[in-house]
Amino acid sequence: MSFAEIATLEVSLFLGVLAAIIGYRLLTGQINMNYLLYGIQKGGARYFSPERVQLLLFTLGTAMFYLNDVMQHRTSGVLPDVSTETLALLGGSHALYLSGKAYMMLFKKPG
Amino acid sequence: MLLLLLMQAAQTTPTPPPTSYVQPWVGALAAWVALGFLGLIGVAILYYVFTGKINLSGLISEPTGDASMSRFQLLVFTFVIAASLFLIIASSTPSPQFPKDIPSGILMLLGISASSYLVSKGIQQTSPEGRAGRGPEVKIAAEKNLTTFGGDTIQFGAEVFGIEDKTVLWTILDPPGFGTIDADGLYTPPASGQPDTIVIKAASKEKLNVSDTESIRVEQAG
Repeated sequence: MSFAEIATLEVSLFLGVLAAIIGYRLLTGQINMNYLLYGIQKGGARYFSPERVQLLLFTLGTAMFYLNDVMQHRTSGVLPDVSTETLALLGGSHALYLSGKAYMMLFKKPG
Repeated sequence: MLLLLLMQAAQTTPTPPPTSYVQPWVGALAAWVALGFLGLIGVAILYYVFTGKINLSGLISEPTGDASMSRFQLLVFTFVIAASLFLIIASSTPSPQFPKDIPSGILMLLGISASSYLVSKGIQQTSPEGRAGRGPEVKIAAEKNLTTFGGDTIQFGAEVFGIEDKTVLWTILDPPGFGTIDADGLYTPPASGQPDTIVIKAASKEKLNVSDTESIRVEQAG
């Protein structure tokens, strides 16, 4: 085996095993996922957070579309770019999440 | 990442210039040693993660114990971009090649993800509830710390962090029965007795082991 083949194998194994461990522990609850879609408002009460739901959907959607893009162009030697529209959508999603979090945590009173 | 660079270097290492004092085998040996060293580090990390010595249970958790959306999205994008970069390098034909440049869209994507995480932490640190990183907690406070036998009542208050039910149970911890305290935290001193220091306890109704105490003094009138 050549140096490049061994290095490729080494990185593949490391990333693959690490991803598998993290994925397995996320699914089995060994990595804490409690209240992922809940926020804390001023006063300490938890609330179900729609802004987190939309961020989760945009995150997973963007990640999957990008991986699909990479798989289709993997032999090109060029990392595919992310479109401006996608970045704008993702930026908007994050802005909504942060605005909601700031409002609920700093200003919104319970009741 | 270092491994990927090594892999690239191994593919494209030019013949040393005639003036070089380094023998070609020295460079190759250094690359193999680095590869072995990084491989061992990788194995050690995976071993410690697998055996729990590197604890991942709080990988995406806030100090309050709740899972964090901002940490989760950063984890997802970091893994996706790292895996994509590796896939592109390893799949390049005819041999593994590091991309000539990283598209600006990728840098912006990672920038949005990391900035959002940082701003989210900033918001959290601005709020007392966000800073309550000590897990479930009850904080008790008294309107004053001194009263007299048969004198003024003292109103206690309790804040509950990290627990859904904000109700607390009030008790006179020490000495027991020295006055009374009602369900709203209003302490009434006894009509007479020996001056003493009273310890009042507030415990979360949902988690009785989460509690806090406060001391007050009851003196003779006049």
